[in-house]
Parts: sequence; structure tokens; C-alpha cells
Amino acid sequence: MADKNVLIIGGGVAGLSAAVELANLGIHVELVEKSNFLGGRAIGYACKAIENTCVKCGACMVEEKLQSAVSHSNIKILTGSQVQNISKNHRFTASIQQEPLVIDREKCTNCGLCLDQCPIDRAILQGFSKNNHPFYAVNKERCLYFKDQSCTICKDECPETAIDLEKKASEHTIEADAVLIATGFQPFNPKDKPYGYGRFKNVVTGLELERMLKQFGRVKKPSGNKLLQKIAFIQCVGSRDAKLNHLWCSKVCCGSALRMARLIKERQPETEITFFYMDVQTFGKDFEQFYKEVQENIRMIRAIPGDFYEMDDQRLKVNFVDNPTHETTEEIFDLVVLSVGITPIENIGTLSRMFKIGPDEFGFLKTDDKEISVSKTGVFTAGTVQGPMSISETIAGAQSAVWKILKYFGE
Amino acid sequence: MDNKTLILGNGPCAVAVAENLLTTGIEIVIATKDDTCGLDESADSEALKILTETRLISCKGSVGTFRIEARQNNKPVTLDVGRIIIAEEDQRTSNFSLYGLKASSTIITLSQIKDVFHDSSRKKGVLSEIKKVIFLTGLVKESTPVIAKEVMLSSLLLQKDYNLQTYILTKNLKVAGDGLESLYRETKEAGTIYIKFTDVVPDIHQGGEDDIRIEFFDEITSKNFRLTPDMTVVDETIVPSRYATDLAKIFHIEKDVNGFVQADNVHRYSVLTNRKGIMVAGPSKDILADDDQRIDAENAALAITGLASRETEIKAEKAEVHEGQCIRCLTCYRLCPYHAITLNARVTVVANACERCGICATHCPRGAVRITDLEPGAMSDLITTDTGMQTQKTFMPFVVAFCCGRSAAQARELAICMGHRLPQGLRVVEVPCSGAVSYDHIFTALENNADGVMILTCHKGNCHSEHGNIYAGQTVEQIQEMFSRIGFEKERLLIQTLASNMGTEFARIADRFEETIMKLGPSRLKKN
Repeated sequence: MADKNVLIIGGGVAGLSAAVELANLGIHVELVEKSNFLGGRAIGYACKAIENTCVKCGACMVEEKLQSAVSHSNIKILTGSQVQNISKNHRFTASIQQEPLVIDREKCTNCGLCLDQCPIDRAILQGFSKNNHPFYAVNKERCLYFKDQSCTICKDECPETAIDLEKKASEHTIEADAVLIATGFQPFNPKDKPYGYGRFKNVVTGLELERMLKQFGRVKKPSGNKLLQKIAFIQCVGSRDAKLNHLWCSKVCCGSALRMARLIKERQPETEITFFYMDVQTFGKDFEQFYKEVQENIRMIRAIPGDFYEMDDQRLKVNFVDNPTHETTEEIFDLVVLSVGITPIENIGTLSRMFKIGPDEFGFLKTDDKEISVSKTGVFTAGTVQGPMSISETIAGAQSAVWKILKYFGE
Repeated sequence: MDNKTLILGNGPCAVAVAENLLTTGIEIVIATKDDTCGLDESADSEALKILTETRLISCKGSVGTFRIEARQNNKPVTLDVGRIIIAEEDQRTSNFSLYGLKASSTIITLSQIKDVFHDSSRKKGVLSEIKKVIFLTGLVKESTPVIAKEVMLSSLLLQKDYNLQTYILTKNLKVAGDGLESLYRETKEAGTIYIKFTDVVPDIHQGGEDDIRIEFFDEITSKNFRLTPDMTVVDETIVPSRYATDLAKIFHIEKDVNGFVQADNVHRYSVLTNRKGIMVAGPSKDILADDDQRIDAENAALAITGLASRETEIKAEKAEVHEGQCIRCLTCYRLCPYHAITLNARVTVVANACERCGICATHCPRGAVRITDLEPGAMSDLITTDTGMQTQKTFMPFVVAFCCGRSAAQARELAICMGHRLPQGLRVVEVPCSGAVSYDHIFTALENNADGVMILTCHKGNCHSEHGNIYAGQTVEQIQEMFSRIGFEKERLLIQTLASNMGTEFARIADRFEETIMKLGPSRLKKN
């Protein structure tokens, strides 16, 4: 198998897990990642251990896969890159467009001076893992140089002369014997829901909360460092929603939200947490015990609230039907966390046309893998591009895709 | 090194593992306690051997050289294999007692209603006389998507094909499985009535054998209701089979809280166990949907193939038992999380199975087990303080942190990347597992001028060596107690848990510890 190579599109949990397995078997991997940082969405997730005990969210396993992938000699990585088109004639030939790598990987020492000196918010992006090297990237959407060339502070200040703002985009051609699509998911954008996301400062998504906890170890109020006392989690935002034709449960949000809620409760015991839900889903092998502890620490309301109103002090007012009393109650929260669902990525149509595999009725991409004899086309999928799944399921699914690739090579 | 693989089990998962492995040319043996094998026995060939009515008794050896004693029809059998895959089926217990019910001809289990669907003669008889069927699921104990799917499918069938009215009484409906939300909508459209309970559960009275009355207060309409079903289907709890539990014991495999044959530990994703060369797939390890069982079978096949291709790789130095000093107290044998110690004429470490966690070396009362590069002496260079620091006038605490290489040592690197400034006098000593940190390590640090010592380890349940972090905790506790007795500040020794992705927390712990030591001042054990 040493003469074979596999193109993996997507450097998240699925792509990394598959890459490591293939590389360990002596197969060469070309890993193409769209963003500047490897690790996908999950590399931004926080460890949610409570009482010094692991709650098996799997976030640290993403770190481990990333660590193994970046240090493996059989894996070649292209970040900031996208497949432009692909053709197949025995082997696949893919042309890849890579954004200019403004920060030189060899020269950068991750000192962080570029971020410190940059005058624009979020124009220098920060990575999530020590294995994200460089740990910083220039965000061309916000950077002044890319707007009107009016600022070169980062380049001027960099002590290693690692920043070259004039760097050109590059093109690569990759030949591969099989392709694995592991492009992940799009978190549901709740801007059209009546929760004021994007307009009210103190409404955040579950993913944003994950990142906040990872970066600061605590929850902060986005509107400023005022007293944070009451937090509401709203489940099923963009999942189990017939109006949107999202007839799926995103599987992971109950686990993520309740684990975060308990972590916050442990670290900031002064907070009061309310959890609005439809049905609490079972997650983890010790769910029975975990759920018991949840019910002791967190107020559980079985209703999804309607409209939210922002008050003058930027707190949020909401009406809902309270459980025990069945009466409409009005309550004010300091922070609202929306557990946004897993939805198909935006350019699923492009991918589906490029690889001639049809998305399912909801827009997820599954190769027909129910049969033991596998894809004859040499195109495989893994991870949340197939639909909602947890980190552990993603790892197992990616490894199963590797097995299918081996069988494809063997036939 | 033997690639021959033993597959234990006879269900769809075991069969799938076998079918996958047969394509690789790896020799396999299937051993099942049943009298027939699910895999076509005509497939029996040089590469495949099938042993029916076979139960395992014991297993010796380790990866590559397992020797298994079994009984086939009460005749002893010996098997020599290199790898083992446990893929036994699970079993179900009915939940009658949870609802205060007794089984009868119209109060049946979920498995029984599924049997009725498959049996055309019974189907006609049983289902032609009834109108109203109630499913009770997840009302006392939380259910799972696997059970929820069966409940919904059964209800759909009764509703559509038999024109019966079905009710599903539950608390949290478990739809976190592929296609289950769609199935839920489909059952509702077909006419199934869902009654979901939150804070209360219905009162269930069984008068006579087949006489059942279910009363409840509906939380939405605020009215009292009474249901008198013609048939009641009670859900089930999926548990590991007795035999799978026996196998865990035979193979020294850690189990999870529910008794399934795999520790609930993220390092075991997806089919690994604490023992190298032994995998566990499908219903032996968890409650899994059919698709997930198939995925598990492929993962097991891949793990076997991967082991075969990586065999030649020789890693860093492994533990070694020094014969002259060993008194066969078996401490190492008991504590080794990987069961990598064998007892023959002498006690030896199986290099292939050893993960060099160092727990054996730390706990051997005679110092007979060693991993040379983890010995306190070998580490003292790392521990010795920088002389430049000593000449400073103001006190700057010198702190040694023994960090697990899988968690805290990585968290430290992340902390640096994130721009946290770590205490200047912090010296990190990376260890493969905190279980490798012994009294000697801690005292070596203190003798080498450390003002404080931290052990930074994985969270409970996240230790690759299962209990390495617990052992480290015990070591710290014992030393702290000794410190209190001799009047030495026990605050100079700290143990904390961290994960590899906790950069901010690493910085916070290091800062706080430095503050503590700052307040305590220089250690009295300091040489200069």
C-alpha cells in the first residue's frame, strides 16, 4: 500500500483521524484544509471535566489526533486551501488553490506581537492548539492592508520578518488514488430565530461558549464585565424544526450544553442556570448519574421560549411557560446560550457535483456504505458531512472510512 | 509475532468482523458458545476455523502470544492466537418491575411484540382482538435511542398495518440517532399519540392479570386522564451478557459503570481496551445501533491490520524486572494497567505490551522494576535548579512540576502559545504518566532545591493507564501526611488535574502555586 496516496478534504476530527490511521499503515496522505488552522470546529471546544473527573466530551482527543497528524512524515498538509476541481482517469487529479500564507511557518515563533500590535479587532486570528503552527493568521476579511493597503504594522513589528503581506496565492496539483470528503458541518445560523442573535450582545451560540470557556476558563458577559448571574441555555435551535425542514436531532447539543452548564456551575457557583429543552438526550455511559446531578444543579424547563427582548442594561427578557406551575412567566437573563444545531455545509452542492454523489434529503453527504462492498468510485465520506455525530462517533466513522479505502485499494 | 485472530461471539457484529478480516488473509478462529455459527460454516477453510459450543476458561500470555484454554462440549481445547476481538451480544432485562407490573398475555416486553410481528400465526391471533396498545418507555430509568427506535417502529407498524391505536408514554424521547426525528414525525402522522411526562409519572395499576389501568394528570391540558389498554408493551434495559462479563475477568479488561467490557475512557476510542492486542466491538462494549455495530466491526478489523503493520516499530525503553532483587510479591502484576507482567519461572515484563507508564517501577517495594530513563537519578539533571536564580536577592520560588506527557505537559505548551506568562522559576519534568512519580522523585526535587513540587495529571477516568492519576494522588496524600507530622509545610506539595487543551488553567494553577510558595518562603530542605 506504500505506493498509494489519499486526498483528504477537511482537517477536522474526521480528516485528522483518518489521516493518522492511513499514515500509520504507510499510505501517503495529502490533507487539504480550508481554514488557517487544523482541528476543525472541535479544536475550539473546552475540556468540561468537573470535580476533577473527565466527562468524556472527547475534546482532548481532537488535540491528540492533531498532534499525531502534524508530526507524521506520511501526512502532507495544506492549510488555507480549497479543491478547485477534480478529474479522474485511473487516479484523481485535483487542483488546489491556496490562499497566500502571509505568516511564514518556518520563521514564526508564535510570539504574538502581531496580535498585540494590530489595531483592528479580529484582523489577526489566534489558533486553538499548540499544534496550530503558526498560532496566528491574518484575517483578510478584516485586515486594513487587504482593504486599502493602509496598514503594515504587523509586518513592520514582526521581529522575525515572518510576515509578508504581498505574498501571492499559490496553486497545487495533487494526484491521489482515493478521496475522502471530511468537510464537517455548518453550525446553524440563528439570526432569523426570534432570539436576537447578532443584534443582542448577550446572546451567544453554544460553540462560542465552548471557545470562551477554552480561552478564559470562565464565562464572561460579552457586553462587559458586569455581574453575570442568570444564564439560559436554549436547546434545539435549528434542530428538530419542521418549519426549517430540519427533521433531525443534532445529537451532541444536550451533552455539550449540560456539560458546559455543570462546568460553569462549578467554576462560577454564583450563577443560576436554566435549561430550556424538548427532550434531554442520552449521552455518555454514565448518563443516569450525570443527569441526576444535572437536575440537582440546573433548573430544567421543558419548553422552548418565544421572543427575546433586550433591556436597556442589555439583559434579556423572555416569556415562557414554567414547568411546575404551567403559567406564563417572564424572566430576565444576563446571558442566553443558543444550542445551535449541526447543519450541512453551504457548498455541499459544489462538492456533490464535483464528486457526483448526491446529498441526502436533508443535504448531508453520505456515500452508499450500507453494503459491505464499498464505493467503486474511490470517493468516501466521513464525519459530520454525513450528518450529526459526536467526537467519538466521528473518530470511529473516520476509521471505518479508512477500512473501506483499504478494501477499495485491495479490490 | 502471531497475527492469528480469535473472534468471540456469534451475532451480526462478530460475523461482520470475521467477514472483514477474511478479506485480509489473516488467519481467524471464531469461538462461540452457541451450537451453530452465524457465519456460513462452509466458509470453514485454512484461513477460518469455527468452534461452536465453546466457552473460554483462561488466557495467558500477551499480544502475539496469547494461550487460551477453553472447553468445547466439555472437552478441553487450547488455542494459540496473536490477537483477540470480543464481539459478544448484549442481553436485555425487562422493565416490568420498574413499573410495578407483572408479565401476562397482554402485558409484554418490547422483544415479545417484535417476536409477534415475525410470527404470522401468533400475529393473527394476538393482534386481531385488540384495539388499544400502550408503550411504556423511559418513565423510570432514562432510555436510549436504540430502544426508542424499536418502540417507534413497533408502534408505527401497529398503527399502519393493524389499524390499532397506539400510545407512547415516556419522559425524554430519545431521538439522538440516525433518522429517529423523522421516524417520530412519521409515527405521529400515522396516529400514534405521545404522552410525555416531565415532573410526574403516571399511576400504573395492574388489577387482575390482564387488567391494567393507567392514570395521569396531563401537564398541558391540566386534566386527569385514564387509559385502559388492551395490550401494554414494556421497554427493556440493555445490559452486557453474563458471558461478556466473564470474558472481561478472564482477560483482565476494565469495564464501564454499566458492566460493559470497555473502560469508559476516551483513550479507548473506538475498539481498544487496556490490553494491547485485545479489541472489543459492538454490543460487548456499549449500547449501539446496527450501523454503529458495523462501524465497530470495521474499526476492529482495521485495528488488527494496523497492529500487524506496526509490529516492527520499537519504541522507547520499557520496564525491566531485575531478577536478583525481585521477591515475587506480585505488586507489579497486580498494578500493571496493561497486564504486561507475566509470571513464569521469573517475573518478566512483556516489552510489546508495556506502555512504560512506570507504575510498576514506582510501586515495587524492592526497587526491582526499573525504567532507566524515568529513575529519579536520571531525572535529577532536569530537576536541578538554575544557579543563576540563586544569586538573586529577592526570593523567587523554584517549583518543579511533574507533568503527564499526555495532558499537563501539553497544556503547558498551549499556555505558552496563548501568551500566558508562566512563573520564571517553574521547571517542568515530563513523565509518561503521573503514576511514574514516586517518593524518590518528589524528594529528589526537594533535595535539589525545589521550594515546591506539583504533580499535574489527567482527570479521573481520563488516565491512559486507568489509575496512574489515582496512584499519584495517593502518593501525594501519604507524603503530605508525613509532612504534617514532621512539621514541614504540606502546601509545598500539590496535585492537580488538567487536560491537554487546558492552557489557561495550566497558567492559573502555576501562578497560584507560585503565590502559595512565595508566602511560605524558601524551603528548609534547600541545600543552599
